[in-house]
Amino acid sequence: MESMEGPARPPQSPAKFVSPKVVALYAMLTALTTAVTMTLVIPLPTRGYYNVGESMVFFAAFTFGWRAGMICGGIGSAAADLLLGYGFFAPITLVAKGAEGLVAGILGNLKGGAPWARIAGIWAGGSCMVATYFFAEWIFLGFGVALTELPANVFQVLLGGLIGLMLSQAVAVYRNPRSKQA
Amino acid sequence: MTGFVDLFTESNSALHRMDPRVKIASVIFLSLLALIISELGYLLVLAGVMVLLLLIGRASFSKTMFAFSYVSRVMLLIVVLWPIFDPSGTPVLLEFGPIKITGPGILAGLATAVRVFCLAAVWYVLMFTTSQRDLVRALVKLGLRFDYGLSLAISLRFLPTFGATVESIKDAQRARGLELDRGGVAKRARNYLAVLVPTTITALKTADTLALALQSRAYGARADRTYLRELSMRAIDYVALVVVVAAFALPFAAKYLLSMPL
Repeated sequence: MESMEGPARPPQSPAKFVSPKVVALYAMLTALTTAVTMTLVIPLPTRGYYNVGESMVFFAAFTFGWRAGMICGGIGSAAADLLLGYGFFAPITLVAKGAEGLVAGILGNLKGGAPWARIAGIWAGGSCMVATYFFAEWIFLGFGVALTELPANVFQVLLGGLIGLMLSQAVAVYRNPRSKQA
Repeated sequence: MTGFVDLFTESNSALHRMDPRVKIASVIFLSLLALIISELGYLLVLAGVMVLLLLIGRASFSKTMFAFSYVSRVMLLIVVLWPIFDPSGTPVLLEFGPIKITGPGILAGLATAVRVFCLAAVWYVLMFTTSQRDLVRALVKLGLRFDYGLSLAISLRFLPTFGATVESIKDAQRARGLELDRGGVAKRARNYLAVLVPTTITALKTADTLALALQSRAYGARADRTYLRELSMRAIDYVALVVVVAAFALPFAAKYLLSMPL
């Protein structure tokens, strides 16, 4: 897993802030998640749209660890809900996508991100997201709506997980050109 | 559905001038209120209050319609699907096989649809009348750490930029023959990759530059930082806060302490 702390702060520094590298990286990953969720959409009758925003959650989790996956995935996706006018869904999305990024980041980076670990991460993280949405919709919108949403969410996780996996490998080559992954 | 419609509308209504912290608290309390009420009549009253708030906030008609286009679909789905999965209650109106459509089931579906309207509308009031800058400022004042708040503010700032980046890369790849809406799952995933890899690498490069910019502007040099604009609660903000808390607390007490039907 990538070390997220940046260079060590000098000891006389009075402020206890996160390093600027982390602020910049998390800001960019969050904005990227929101932008991708909002722009790359496939219209659907029920929740309005499929999006490939999932892929950015998995990408952040696999490339920068579970913390990035949880924070950037959760907040980025919730912000997209807010800005598209699905505000009351934002708290649910925050939990669903945050859990997805957290689980995918922990499981997907076992053994330095072996292929089976990545697939386990997508499977477990995706299950968290699908289950959270299903039960939340069951409680708030009724069983019927939750049931109609279920296949859409499963498809979204499959597509997003696949894209996120390939994206994290492609970007790994960019970040470290000597690595043999391709 | 695509593109960036900023829900916030510049105006000078009473709700625009209200302290954003009070508005965030109102969203929470009014959402909880909508969740504890289950009688259709009272929910309709609450929905009327939401419409009134939208009018006070001078919500623009086109943005309201844009936002409600999704919620109206969900409400329709609930009204149609709820009675099918809720066979409780006595006056059975229709029965075929295992499916029973009952009077209380239909009423419960309608009530849930109105509740979803209330839950959605209260967020619109917040988003229509509060700028993103004010939202982040309020969150920081409510106890979010400054560095996280800065990260959030930066990400909101870069959102339209990345949106434009995604669109232009998509156009560039389309000009080379990329088809985003054809093929099976694996083919589609590979096609989206042609857009997402350049976008991501652009974003990571921006992150590097941004980190340098933050460092060169002495980010985090002092813990006791000051702010250019301070939020201050006016008398009217306190009144609004009391009204909202009472609007939640009184029905809550009536329902769960006095067990009145609400």
